[in-house]
Amino acid sequence: MEKLYVNEIRSNGEASTIGLFYSRSEAETIVAQLLRVEEKSDCRYEIVEATRHVLSVKDSQRSQTAEKQ
Amino acid sequence: MRGITPRREQGMADPVLASMVRARGLENARHYLAATPKIQAYRDSWVKLAPFRDGPINPTRIAISDPAAMTKRIKEKAMELGADMIGVCRLQPHMIDLGAEVPHEFVIVACVAEDYEKVVQGANAVEEEAMRVYAKCTEIATNLAAYVRELGYPAVAHHNGASEVQAIPIFYQVGFGELGRHGSLINEKYGASFRPGFVTTDLLLVEDQPREFGVQEFCMNCNVCQLNCPGDAIPQDHVMTHGIKRWLIDLEKCYPYSRLRDEYCHLCVDVCPYNVKSHPETYKAFMKERKQVGYKTPKSW
Repeated sequence: MEKLYVNEIRSNGEASTIGLFYSRSEAETIVAQLLRVEEKSDCRYEIVEATRHVLSVKDSQRSQTAEKQ
Repeated sequence: MRGITPRREQGMADPVLASMVRARGLENARHYLAATPKIQAYRDSWVKLAPFRDGPINPTRIAISDPAAMTKRIKEKAMELGADMIGVCRLQPHMIDLGAEVPHEFVIVACVAEDYEKVVQGANAVEEEAMRVYAKCTEIATNLAAYVRELGYPAVAHHNGASEVQAIPIFYQVGFGELGRHGSLINEKYGASFRPGFVTTDLLLVEDQPREFGVQEFCMNCNVCQLNCPGDAIPQDHVMTHGIKRWLIDLEKCYPYSRLRDEYCHLCVDVCPYNVKSHPETYKAFMKERKQVGYKTPKSW
């Protein structure tokens, strides 16, 4: 499955992660809903790949072990 | 007030779960919906109470000259109804589901602690306990909302059967604790072993304040939930949301253990070292069993 973060960037540059989503259409639906919120009219949104962040310690240890072998 | 926080849909309305069920051909298999008669009765109880979350308001409104005294009265009432923790805060848009409208100024949260002793009895006992507590919270929220309406103020209950509010930001704001690595809020006394019910209202109350006691720093170094998760669903890295560290659970890894089988998975919460304070002997016994089968226990053991 695709893994995507939706990040919110405020006009003052402050960035926050809204959540982790599993398809571009799901992420785009959330962004479309957020864009309709009046309080967030000065925010912009980015959808970014999340693969690197969701790798666990065990995943990375396993891949290192596999590389050594 | 209109909400701004996306809510992940539950059950087959959740696109992640729906696509995993379809991909595995599990449409007709027993999975998370499987329930013992007792669990089903608890689930039915909050569905039955959902129509009573709102109701007629007493036209004779009592005057509030002392909001602190009224807050005390509400908290005492919630305790009398069976709550273990009560908090109050002003409702904010991030505490409400995206697009939902909640026309109230305040939110009252009433929590009931789960019996942590169930962890040594296995997954089904833990699930039964969780559902029992959810049902109790539903009852408390429904009765507390009716009590506030009887005082002459609008009040709506929010619980498993029907809700437009988000638990974690409310828990944080009323000072119940801080967000932990496992994605649940950690309370100093109960760990993450508690469940909530909510009442939104216009009754004038005095707000509680957020309280931090080092959970986020602790979770940076303690990986016990991460290393005990059977699905490797708890990440090492965190993201930030408005200054709060969040470790976003990978649902694709979590669901095979928590949704796609008929046994409950509550391990991330059950192994959390914050349980040791309230249940030292049970926690140690539980973790000793897990250590014997190769799982990680807290560093000092």
